[in-house]
Amino acid sequence: MADTAVRFEHVSMAFPGVLANDDVTLDIRRGEVFALVGENGAGKSTLMNILYGIHAPTDGQVFIGGTEVTDFNPRTAIGLGVGMVHQHFMLVPSFTAAENIVLSREPRKGRIFFDSAAARRKASALAEEYGLEVDPDVPVGQLSVGLQQRVEILKTLYRGAEILILDEPTAVLTPQETEELFAVIRRVVREKHMTVIIITHKLYEVLAISDRVGVMRKGQLVGVRDTADVDEQTLASMMVGRPMLYDTLEKTGVPGRELLRIEDLSVRDSRGLPAVRGVSLSVRAGEVLGIAAVEGNGQSELIEAITGMRRPESGRVWLQDRDVTGLDPGAIRAAGLAHVPEDRLATGVSAQASVADNLLAGRQREARFNRFGFHRRVSTVERYASELYERFDIRGAGVRTAAGDLSGGNMQKVVIAREFSFDAPVLIVAQPTRGVDVGAIEFIHSQIIAKRNQGCAILLCSADLDEVFRLSDRIVTLYEGQITGQYTGVFSKDEIGLGMTGGNREAV
Amino acid sequence: MERLKKRNWGYLVSLALSVLLAFTIGAVILLAAGFSPLRAYGAMIDGAFSGARHIGDWLEYAMVLCLTGLACVLGSRVGIFNVGGEGQLLLGAIVSCQVGVWLGGSPVWIALPAAALAAMAVGGLYALIPGWLKVKVKVNEVITTIMLNTVAASLCQYLAKGPWKNANKNMVAATAQLDPRLWFHSLIPGSNLSTAIIAAAAITVLTWYVMQKTSTGYEMKLTGQNPRFAFFSGIKTDRLVIVCMVISGAMCGLVGMFRVYGVEHLYRSSISNQYYFEGLTVAMIAGYEPVTVIFLSFFFAILKIGAQGMELTAGVPNQIYLIIQTVIIFCMAAESGVFSSLRAGSQRKKARADIRRKEGRDHA
Repeated sequence: MADTAVRFEHVSMAFPGVLANDDVTLDIRRGEVFALVGENGAGKSTLMNILYGIHAPTDGQVFIGGTEVTDFNPRTAIGLGVGMVHQHFMLVPSFTAAENIVLSREPRKGRIFFDSAAARRKASALAEEYGLEVDPDVPVGQLSVGLQQRVEILKTLYRGAEILILDEPTAVLTPQETEELFAVIRRVVREKHMTVIIITHKLYEVLAISDRVGVMRKGQLVGVRDTADVDEQTLASMMVGRPMLYDTLEKTGVPGRELLRIEDLSVRDSRGLPAVRGVSLSVRAGEVLGIAAVEGNGQSELIEAITGMRRPESGRVWLQDRDVTGLDPGAIRAAGLAHVPEDRLATGVSAQASVADNLLAGRQREARFNRFGFHRRVSTVERYASELYERFDIRGAGVRTAAGDLSGGNMQKVVIAREFSFDAPVLIVAQPTRGVDVGAIEFIHSQIIAKRNQGCAILLCSADLDEVFRLSDRIVTLYEGQITGQYTGVFSKDEIGLGMTGGNREAV
Repeated sequence: MERLKKRNWGYLVSLALSVLLAFTIGAVILLAAGFSPLRAYGAMIDGAFSGARHIGDWLEYAMVLCLTGLACVLGSRVGIFNVGGEGQLLLGAIVSCQVGVWLGGSPVWIALPAAALAAMAVGGLYALIPGWLKVKVKVNEVITTIMLNTVAASLCQYLAKGPWKNANKNMVAATAQLDPRLWFHSLIPGSNLSTAIIAAAAITVLTWYVMQKTSTGYEMKLTGQNPRFAFFSGIKTDRLVIVCMVISGAMCGLVGMFRVYGVEHLYRSSISNQYYFEGLTVAMIAGYEPVTVIFLSFFFAILKIGAQGMELTAGVPNQIYLIIQTVIIFCMAAESGVFSSLRAGSQRKKARADIRRKEGRDHA
């Protein structure tokens, strides 16, 4: 028991309608890097949230350092030496790094006043001790995402964490920042004998950083292996329960004429700050142009400006040789564009409306759906929706249920089904598989490539680099609203990573 | 459709329970105040149904609730909450009345349509202000409409006391009376019920039809549910919101005209005693569903007219009506929270039982 940092015994967790954790028994050893992998919804985060005291398990016991946890709340967990860095950082942007680190346990002067000098000193000492350099005086809002993550890690260390949980820590990082994070993890494990649990779904990262790996599927722990004994293929098939078929996408045809051209486009974000600065690009029929960028580098605003969701500040958008700059989405759609938005719940569907009504959106004025031009033909609408429902393999309780009752993957299929059925020559596809399970990813990818092979011009934007690599014929990198590189042929992760961080800006 | 039916049942059950609870609480209050609840409620039913005159008043008030309620639904369908119907109603009333006074000598077929158009125009324009501000400058329409109510009420008061005042010195704040030729015919002598109810029925059916059966109604629904998605899918949401708000205002203005030409025959402040807010309350209780609004209008009109009768015959203050109405709103609001937490609890229990069963199997 001495070298066991965490022990789960027959832990089950039931949410209404879902069994998120199903009889999980797992030991995590002190001083190891343990990777927890699995598809979305496999129960990884739930298990870690139990450890951090956010949820009390429905059944089973949890031991931290040999002590059984009876009172599940984060305060207790922190007391027992658990620290967690969430996917979405819990930092106060206007506070400095030092202030964020000591927050909730601030050093005081005379028990009342905040001692900022001591806070600064402690933060610096801690940063130096663990080799996590951060300027303690800069407001966190001005730090890069990678540095903000460091502040999060320092915060947990300041509270005395010996067991560090990292929930998808690399999702928002560039390849270079990921490397730096891994170096930090190795150091704290080697020098401080800490235990690190890392939740991820990127298998190459598991191989790069972990000592052991646990694979979860549908709430169950399907296996724990020494990382040295496994490869990506083995892990992938453990995750999905079958061997994964990769690279069966067949790309055919040659690019045709230019269908989408963007000239020197500049866009401001919702706060009025420049988000896109003078971007020019063009997409031809029968090709996929991928945009590789770390979140928040202007890709969202760029796409919104192209599709009419946001008015550009300057520049032109040409769609099939027509100037559509600044038109509303309806007019741009009429000119031949369909759009899979990055955030399906906010933009892509109406959760309360039925699946049929969601599939209809944009076509409601077509003659076949209207009697006398205004009376809705409900049965025709439902027949049309059912066809799409079948064709795109949407799984739910039928076209009359509310779209909000579908799972994320099926909701995404509704969006894809609607947008792809417009037969628009230009397709803008943003985050097509975010939060979608592996089976649906395969399907969505094959649909995108089918469109490409039919001669669509496709602009793809995704936070998942593997997806961009897999689908694109060409890739551009976007950094702080500017294009920092164009790549064709065989893509290299290092080169593109450099472009995503602006590291090659002098070269372009 | 199965799901929809289930939802409707849930709604009806919770509405029935809320009404029952409201009457129970009302009874407790009546007892505490020293009245016999049975006698009071009996007087309430009597007040609404004894005699043709009461039935006429009941139908007229149901018409007012129904039109104002639907006007409110029209706005909330597209995601704009018109709280300013009272002001729109008052302005529609006084302007249409004055138009009738000016056109007193002209034929009925000119004067009445002119008055109706004037009522709709002024109500619609008055609703255009908050609608436009919401769409273009993102000013919260709840605040602007509420404040504009006060402006409208004061303006009407000024007009009724000043430029458009009745020549009769004894009437403090009222406009001149309409020529009797222009009055809507009374359907039940002595009651408030006039031929206006025919127009109201037509408007009700039309509003229901547009919202529930047409492609425009579909676009309205999408816009109200998720405006960003509606805009994304190509609907001109800004225009739709403004148009719906204007029509909502026009309907309220028209209700004002109906009150003037059907009941009062001149403008004075008794033209509406916060009637729009009662219609809005009905719309809220009905969950903004047009058909439910229609049915509930008749129900709440019974309570309102009945409560007036109850006051006369049993001596019970008619405020009991407000208490009952308020309790129903509370219950309906609490219902969604209570029911969903009950549902979550039972699902969790079921999940737990599933685990137990599974473990039992594993150990066996």
